[in-house]
Amino acid sequence: MVATEWIEAEVLKAVPDAHVEAIDLHRSGDHFHVRVIAESFDGMRPLQRQRLVLAVMKQHIPHPIHALDLKCMTPAQAETAGDTAFDPHGGGQGVHIRRIEKNKE
Amino acid sequence: MKMNWTPEELQAIVDEHALVLFMKGTPNEPQCGFSNRAAQALQQFGEPFAAVNILSDQRAIPSVCAWSDFPTMPQIYVQGELIGGSDIVLEMLQDGSLQEMFDEGRSA
Repeated sequence: MVATEWIEAEVLKAVPDAHVEAIDLHRSGDHFHVRVIAESFDGMRPLQRQRLVLAVMKQHIPHPIHALDLKCMTPAQAETAGDTAFDPHGGGQGVHIRRIEKNKE
Repeated sequence: MKMNWTPEELQAIVDEHALVLFMKGTPNEPQCGFSNRAAQALQQFGEPFAAVNILSDQRAIPSVCAWSDFPTMPQIYVQGELIGGSDIVLEMLQDGSLQEMFDEGRSA
C-alpha cells in the first residue's frame, strides 16, 4: 500500500512540469485515480501522454499499485474536465473527487 | 481457439479485427470495473468488436503486456493500433476521435 504523495512524486519524475492530483479511491492504497495536468501534453495523443507517465509507473504495477486510472490533460482541458472519477468497484457509479487545486481557492 | 499468446498470434487478432478489446472477463460477464467500462464504451460506439478474455489463460496478461509494452488491462486496439485503456477509449468516444480513427482505416 502506498500514499497519494508517493504516487504524485513518482509521476513528477516522468512529467516534471505537471500538476499531479492522486486520489486513493478506496483508502486501500492500491486503487488510484490520478490527474496529470501539464502544458507539455499539448499536441500529444492520449496514449503518448500515458506512455510518458507509465514509463515510470509500470514498474509499480500490479504491485503495489493494483489499479491506475490516469487522466492526462493540458491545463485548458483541465478547465473543462468534470469532478467525477471512475471507481472500478463502484458498480458503474462515479466517485465525486475532491479537487485539491479547487479547494485551495 | 487454441492460443499460445505469441506476438504473431496477438498481431493476427488485431490485424483481423478493426476493433479489439483485451479484457478481464467478457462483455456480458466482465471481471473488472475498468474492463466493463471499456466494453460499455465500445458497445455504445456501436461497431462490432472482438473481445479477448485474458483471464482465460494465466499466460495471457504477461504475454499481451510484453507484446504491447502497456502495463494494464483492458487494452483497446483500433485498426491494429493500441489506443490505450478504458480511460482513453471513453475520452476518444466522447470527443469523436475514436470515430475518426475508425473511419480512417489502417495506415499502410
